[in-house]
Amino acid sequence: MFRLALRQFQFDLLRSSLTMAAIAAVIAVILVLRGFETGLYEQSRAAVLDRGADLFVAQTGVTNFVAVRSSLHQLARREVEAIEGVVEAHPVTSFSVIYQNGGQKVPVYILVYDIRGGPANLLAGHMPATAREVVVDRSLAHKFDLALGDPLVISAFEFRVSGVAADSAAFFMPFVFITYDGMLDFVMKSDIAPDLSAFPLVSHLLVELEPDVKADDVAVVIESVVDNVDVYLPKQMALQDVQMGQGLFGPVMGLLVSVAYVVGLLVVGLIVYADVRGRMRMFGVLKALGFRLSHLTSSVMIQTLMYLVAAFPLGTLLGWIVATLIEFVAPLYRVPIVDADGLAQTFFAGIFFAVLGGMVPLRLIATIDPIVAFRGN
Amino acid sequence: MLRWTLKTLWLQRTGTLASAGGVAGAFLMVLLLEAVFLGESTQMVSYIEHTSPDVWVMQHGVSNMHMATSFVWDWKEDEVAKMSGVESVSSILYVNTVVRAGERDWFAYVVGLQSGDARSGPWDMAAGSPVPEPGEIVLPEMFSRAVGIQIGDTATIADTRFSVVGLSKETFSMTNSVAFVNFVDLEKVLSVGATVSYMLVDASPGEAAEALADRIETEIDKVSALTQQEFITSDFEMAMKMGVEIIFFMTIIGSMLAVVIIAFTTFVQVSRRFHELAVVKALGVQNRAIYGSVVLQSVFVTSLGYVLAISAAVGAMPLIAALVPEVIFLVSPMALARMGAIALAVSVLAALVPARLVAGVDPVSAFKA
Repeated sequence: MFRLALRQFQFDLLRSSLTMAAIAAVIAVILVLRGFETGLYEQSRAAVLDRGADLFVAQTGVTNFVAVRSSLHQLARREVEAIEGVVEAHPVTSFSVIYQNGGQKVPVYILVYDIRGGPANLLAGHMPATAREVVVDRSLAHKFDLALGDPLVISAFEFRVSGVAADSAAFFMPFVFITYDGMLDFVMKSDIAPDLSAFPLVSHLLVELEPDVKADDVAVVIESVVDNVDVYLPKQMALQDVQMGQGLFGPVMGLLVSVAYVVGLLVVGLIVYADVRGRMRMFGVLKALGFRLSHLTSSVMIQTLMYLVAAFPLGTLLGWIVATLIEFVAPLYRVPIVDADGLAQTFFAGIFFAVLGGMVPLRLIATIDPIVAFRGN
Repeated sequence: MLRWTLKTLWLQRTGTLASAGGVAGAFLMVLLLEAVFLGESTQMVSYIEHTSPDVWVMQHGVSNMHMATSFVWDWKEDEVAKMSGVESVSSILYVNTVVRAGERDWFAYVVGLQSGDARSGPWDMAAGSPVPEPGEIVLPEMFSRAVGIQIGDTATIADTRFSVVGLSKETFSMTNSVAFVNFVDLEKVLSVGATVSYMLVDASPGEAAEALADRIETEIDKVSALTQQEFITSDFEMAMKMGVEIIFFMTIIGSMLAVVIIAFTTFVQVSRRFHELAVVKALGVQNRAIYGSVVLQSVFVTSLGYVLAISAAVGAMPLIAALVPEVIFLVSPMALARMGAIALAVSVLAALVPARLVAGVDPVSAFKA
């Protein structure tokens, strides 16, 4: 049956190519949708893990890092640094603002840092050296055509772009990194707020630990010694941000991926059905020769799986091209295609489609009269 | 040829239907994505729409509520209230942050209402009180259902605990739910004093909102004043623009998928009628007519897919809303029209491959066994 399926596969190459293209397109769509969702969560995870902390200290009750208001009391930093095993507690704070330029508006996330917590993947330029310098995510630089040295005006306050960073965005917001000096100037001299109290001076502490110190143990000590704080391991904080993202975007992405799976099922079913319809005479001949229904069904299934196996690399390549194009045109989004889980799930879903799709024409095969073998075209 | 085309489609109705189903699915993905963005964007301005003052006053340079930060000294509220043409002013504090309830975190607009200020609060209640007193919170009814909390339960913002006293309608969305707390509580959460975020200004009868907004910006230092319509448009357009790129790519991907599906179906249908086509050619029918037939088949399958997609998008909305209550879908006539135009282009593009096949049919083959 395998040989028969292989022969059929090779017999009409144009048709086989079109069939593979259709299956590959479905695989690409599913991979891109999944990649888009995965990218959203990866960005959230990276926004936490790229800050370079061994521990995150947040206000009590605050379980997230991005897009949430946390405010630590003034003594928190000193108290944390007094704990054994802590090298330094680096303050950071953040807030979202709307950036306007040339009639376009986007929300941006301003991340204020002292020494640690700045951009992790600098693509060009240098870290902010003065209060007026900022590093922007490449998606913002791309969208507004910002180059190194260009002004970045927020609330009538002019920063200068000193660097462009990659992978610094989350929840559809590109990051803008400024120093604490920059924040003080920004708040005092711009229209962003009436005074400094409008924004928390320290939203989180990024705790740097001595080597060989157990982070879990220090976290417990910090929570017991310092009032009104919660402490998280970076992985834990990242997971909580990812979970928040899943709560926000999970339902709609799940729905779209489900529709993509239904489309996949329809396409594979359609292909198998069309294939069987096109080979009615051959099936009639095989029946006349004494082949049982199970043999014919196996032949259909094998050929469908062949199409799937051949189309999968093509679909992955197509998905990768589309994803790369999306990331190039709109670098705010990350669309990782090649992850083992996603590929495996899509492949096995494809097998499921193939098996289910292969069942569609079973009735047709079962009802083929061997007499058709002796009819003309 | 029209009759022959329709007959062909009818004889292969199962394949035609399956193909149209695949096309419908591809179009449906695009329609759903756009419907999500439209639904979210519309819901995003729901609070602004329903409170409906004539003019919104905020910090200078700010022209949005979504993801924006606005702080204005509260004495400016008194200044605005004293201006001629102003009938009343109420003010709110506002922050985007995470509300935690029932062990779930939810991103929300949190609005701080002055005690007794029903004007700036929820406009439709499912249960409880619409105006929270200190220590109290009003949450969207949908949120309470999603996390399984009721009136009297507790919700927290950072380390501040609130008792749920009301459940509001039409204030829930995937990314922009609205929660209401007392002004004093939000001041504590934000660690601010003597400031407000937005002023809701009602003009005196006969006073034009545009003129009043202009006068407020001129007379009050460092504030922006936008009319109700300007403020709605500003937020709505920004929200939609955030989704434009994604919608664009999904449209391209969905359309490509539809092209491949239709090309495949038409190709199969044409190749199965190879002998018939040879006979038709031998009888003197010109290639142009046969191409027309191929395009017609393609257009028919695409149109059927398009109609199925619209029917699914519109007809299945109640089902989808029940299955995924967190997401608000809105299908606009503009989106349907755009999809129609794309469908037409798709059908013509998809006919190219089978048309090439038709061109290669040799009439002599009609006389072969």
